[in-house]
This record gives sequence, structure tokens and C-alpha cells, in this order.
Amino acid sequence: MKKNVRLFVLFVLLALVVGACGTPATVAPAPVQPTEPAAPAATEEPAATEEPAAEEPFRVAVVMPSAINDLAFSQSMHDALLRIQEEMGGESMFEIVYSENMFVVDDAAAALRDYASQGFDLVIGHGSQYGSSLQEIAPDFPETSFAWGTTVDTFGLPNVFAYEAASDQGGFVNGAIAASLSESNIIGVVGPIETGDAKLYVDGFKAGAEAIKPDIDVRVSYIGSFSDVALASEAANTHVSAGADVLTGTAQMVVGAIGVAEENDVLWFGTQSNQASLAPSVVVASQVYHWEGILAEMIDMIKGGTLGGQSFIIDLANGGEVIEFNPEYELVANVNTVAEQTIQGIIDGSITIDLGQ
Amino acid sequence: MRSRLNSLFDALLPVIATLAALGVGAVMLLVLGANPLEAYGALWVGAFGSTNAFAETLVKATPLLLVALGICISFRGDVINIGGEGQMIVGAILATSVGLTFTGLPGWLVIAMAMLAGFIGGGIWGGIPGVLKAYFNVNEILSTVMMNAIAVQFMNFMLRGPMIDPSQAELASKIPQTARLLEPFRLLRWAPTRLHLGALIAVVLAILVYILLWRTTLGYRIRAVGQNPNASRYAGIDVKRHVVLALLLSGAFAGLAGMIQVYGVNYRMITDGSASGFTGSAGFNGIVAALFGQLHPIWSIPASVLFGALLVGANSMQRMVQIPSALVTALNGLVVVFVVSSEIWRRRRQRRRLAAAKEEDVPPKPDPDTPGKTKVRA
Repeated sequence: MKKNVRLFVLFVLLALVVGACGTPATVAPAPVQPTEPAAPAATEEPAATEEPAAEEPFRVAVVMPSAINDLAFSQSMHDALLRIQEEMGGESMFEIVYSENMFVVDDAAAALRDYASQGFDLVIGHGSQYGSSLQEIAPDFPETSFAWGTTVDTFGLPNVFAYEAASDQGGFVNGAIAASLSESNIIGVVGPIETGDAKLYVDGFKAGAEAIKPDIDVRVSYIGSFSDVALASEAANTHVSAGADVLTGTAQMVVGAIGVAEENDVLWFGTQSNQASLAPSVVVASQVYHWEGILAEMIDMIKGGTLGGQSFIIDLANGGEVIEFNPEYELVANVNTVAEQTIQGIIDGSITIDLGQ
Repeated sequence: MRSRLNSLFDALLPVIATLAALGVGAVMLLVLGANPLEAYGALWVGAFGSTNAFAETLVKATPLLLVALGICISFRGDVINIGGEGQMIVGAILATSVGLTFTGLPGWLVIAMAMLAGFIGGGIWGGIPGVLKAYFNVNEILSTVMMNAIAVQFMNFMLRGPMIDPSQAELASKIPQTARLLEPFRLLRWAPTRLHLGALIAVVLAILVYILLWRTTLGYRIRAVGQNPNASRYAGIDVKRHVVLALLLSGAFAGLAGMIQVYGVNYRMITDGSASGFTGSAGFNGIVAALFGQLHPIWSIPASVLFGALLVGANSMQRMVQIPSALVTALNGLVVVFVVSSEIWRRRRQRRRLAAAKEEDVPPKPDPDTPGKTKVRA
């Protein structure tokens, strides 16, 4: 009898574990993107009769660490690709294929290699943990263009692009607004691990808040995970019970923290994607990554025969980062001025962000 | 005749369970508007459809098999090791630091040292819960899971701090990864696929584990302790020592799996903060592979390949049919649920059959099981 109990425990644990691996990214209640089954035979249209030379569609494959509807990092890329698709004339002109939730680096490498061997024009590894795999795969497919981010490193390879987000800029703006709105002068930040655009955002946010109120208490907790939604909620709870009246956070696990913010009626500042839909009553503004600008540049270069070797950056000045205010949250007039002045200052260079490194 | 049919059914049970899970999955696919035949076709092609696909399946199966071998040892010894993830991580950390430290030594020597380091690292991480269980009566299911959490934090600390890639340390992005292993330290690959020597090493070790369990005194004692600790103690076996050894060996094989992942596949350690980002959940899936293989090292080989195929094929299915990745996770979970449940059912059937046979042959005897003691294999 007792062994059945043990097996049962084992069974429950396994179920929990296997379940836990998939949960984080699927929490977001965002609308599921219409995923037409990969454009059936879109490539071979029977000799189109239109004048503008029956062009082959431009084919993009992207590998993402979380779900395409994560309201954060992965969604920012997927949304950008959809916008480009719309601009270029729909699925027949611009084909998008994706692998989501590829948080296992090794699986992502298999996916990237698979896409490359299928002859896609551009294969994107949307995560800084994929660089090592691309470095190995790219030389085997000199005809294919690869892109990865967020980083600046193209490994000196002629067919690799790199892209980065100056997320410290939007972080600075968010921080400045947050400090202006905070009454308790305690702000809580929920970060994943101290790396990449997450670290930049958090450092920028802190700098922005301190620029407005030098004595403000910005409490940063890196939870050590990009996916643990429950832990992110706990971190947010801790900040709230310590008196924080404004919260922010970055990466795909923050959906948990946003829930906590809403429950406690505490303000939230988003980044990566527009997070207003998650908690319309408390989200003030989101820094949104608009990758489409640099993607369009890459696509033009690829069409012109340059497959890589360059790194791109999105920031407030080039429109790659946009502070999107939540229309349902009414920002006090004088704080609105602070926000606009800060954005303008960063764009024209009169504000420089000191990350204290 | 009847008993032979019964044992054939038992042997095929995991396969039947898998098919049943896929059947339930088919319903989910239908609900999502995907054609199950097309989807499972893509799964098959993704796992076995080409040389490269099959190579990927074997690459995936390798860590599963190594973890499964350890599970065979520990479960036979009636200790349950759910710490494969942490043991893989610690083994990989030690093995990687060997490769990054001894850059002047010849490749074969470094690989051998790294294998040893992986073995020792995993062994320590498995041995600690073993000691806790044997001498302090701490439940090993809990302690091994807890050790996983410690290992993840340890990895995140090491890769962000002391072991960070020097070139990343200078950049603002500070990706938590180690430097790449030098060319001569990487396991031989069967180009152009990613299939590496580790697969062969795992198969050889499967044979060695079989010999260990059924042809050596140590293996006999581990199994004896697993079946009946009181009888073993009466026979003069140091039960505590063998409990520790079972968990230690189990961890060591998981640690080796971690080493093989670094030296055969990734050539560096990299973390996204979670354990599965590095292990691909092999520490858990290896348990399922072992149960699939009826806790037999040799049968674990095809079981690991099958489970590896399922994992690789499911990912490929997501790419080809563009279904949400949540379904891949669900499918994976369904297979685990069905396989583990079928194992419980098989044991129950077996016990009932034994009881029925006893009634026919001999007058009823008192239950040979001493109360308060567990037994993993009937």
C-alpha cells in the first residue's frame, strides 16, 4: 500500500513539474493571434499575371523564448513582424513562421538549424541566450541571413545581424513619471536576472526616479527567473507590503506582478509590450519596443544582398522605442509635462542617463 | 500460455499508454482546429523523417538515458531521486570548470577529467540527500527537489559571477554564460548532424549499469536493500550505506548527463535563470524514460529514444503546423500521466495475479511484507 502512496507522490510531482514548465507564458489572456496553418503552397503561385514581377514572398522564421502573446519580450517581436507583414501586403508577400516557448537553449538551436535548412530569408533568434547557437549555425548557411538580440555582437560573421534595445531610455522616462506620482516615495521593481535589456531597463528606471527625487527609495528585486509568474507575484507583494505605491518590472513573468498591482490598486509601469490591457485601471504607461523599423532596414539590406555584419539599436530617438500612455489612466497635467520633457530631453541629448557603472 | 500473454501485455503497456495519450492529444488538436493526422505526421517526420531528424532524436535521448540509468539504480534500491535537474547542473558546472581551467592539456585527457568531474559533482548532489535519508530519516523526495532549487541558484550565481564569459563581463548586456570550450575538448560529432560521441558513451554505460545491478555484489545488495531492508540487515548488509550509494550513483549519472550536454551539444553553460533552460527537463523526463523501460538499464535505451523522439517531434510539429506551444507541453504531460499511471496499474495487476496464484497453490500465509516498510519491485 505504502508504495502506491509513494508512486502517487511521484506522479503528482511529475505532473506539477511538467505542468510548471509550460505555464508561465500561457497566462497572458491576450487574444490568440490568428495562426493560419503556414500559408499552404504560398510559394508557388501559378505564374502571376500582374505587372509588378511575381515576387517570391520574403520568408521570416523566428524563435522566441516565451509565447507570442506574453505581453512582453516575445510579443514585441511578433507584433512588429505582423506590422511589417501588413505593410508589405499580407501573407503572400511576407511569410512569418515562429517557434514559441523555446526556453530550452538546446531545442532553440535545433529549431534555428531547421529553419535555416528550409531556406528562410531571415532567421531570428529572439533572445540573448541563442547567440552561442547562432554563432555555430550561421557559418553552415552562408546564404541565409540571421539576426539575434538583444546584443551588439555579430561575431564578425557576414550573415549575422544583431539588435539591441536601449531600454534604459524608456526606463528613465518611466522612472521619472513614477517618482513624480509616488506619494510614499517607495517604488518596487521586479526583474528577472541581471542581464540584457532587463538590466538596462531597471538601471534606467532607477536613474530616472532618482533624477526627479534624489531621496526616493527604489527597491529592486531580481527574482532569478524569466518564467516564474508566481515568484514575480510574491516579489510584488513584498514591495507592496513594504509600502510601495508604484511598481514596475520587466520580462515575461511580470504578468503575475501586474495582477498584484491591480489587486492592491498600485500603479504599474510596463515595458517591452503595451501592458495596459492587463490592468487598465493601474497601468500608467508602457515602453513599447517597435522592432519594425530596424527589421525593415534589415530586410532592405538582405534584398540588396547584404546578409549581416551590422548591429542595430532601437531607442526613443529613432522611434524604435515608444512610450505609450494608457488612455484609461488620466495623468496629472504637471506630471505629463515631466514625461514629455524627459522624453524630449533624451531624444535631443540634453538628458544623459548615468547608469552608475 | 496465459502468463506469457500477460507478460507480453505488461511489456507493451507503456507503448499502449503512449498511444492512448496521443489519442487524447488528437482530440485537443481537433478542438484547436488542427488536423491530428497532419500534426502527428509532422511529429513523425520531425523525429524520424531524415538523418538529421533522427540524429536530433538521439541527441535528445542521450541525457534522458543517462538520467534514466541513475533512476534504475536508485528506484531498484527503493530510493526515489527527483533531483536529476540539480545533479545535472552541478555535474555540468564542475565539468565545465575543468574544461575552462586546464586549457593546456590534451583533449582526451580533459574530456576524461571532465567526465569524472561531472560524475563527482552529480554524485555529491545525490549523495547529500542520501546521507540525510540514511542517517537522519529525511524524506529523499523532498530533499532532492529542494536540492534542485539550490543548484539553480548556484548556477545563476556562478554564471553571472566567477564563471562568466570574460567577453560578456565587459558588455552591458552581461549574458550569464561561460566562455566556450576549446575545439579539442568537444566530443566528436558525426557531421553535419549534432549527433555526438555522448550517445555511444550512454549506451556503453547502460550495459555497465546492467552488469552492476545484476552481476556484482554491490548491485545485488542495492537491489536487496530495495526489496527488503529488514531481511538485508539480517543478512548482514549495511543498509544505510547502500541507501547512500544508490542515491549517490543515481546523482552521478545525472551529473554525467550534464557534462555530456556541455561537451557534446552546447560547448558552454548558459542560463535563462531556470533549471530546464539548461537541462531541457531531462532530469525529470529521464524518470519517465526509466519507468518506460521498466527500470531496466537495457530497456531504458529504446525507451529514451522513444521519449526523445516524442520531445523532438513535438517541437518540430509546433514549427510545421504552427500550433500553440502550450499544446506541446500538454502532450508531453499527457504522456507522463499515462505512462506513470499504467505503471501503477501494472503493479496492481501483478499483485492480484500473485495473490490468485498463491491461493491456488498453497494455503494462505501471513503477508510477507513487514509493516512499515516499502518495496519497489514485487
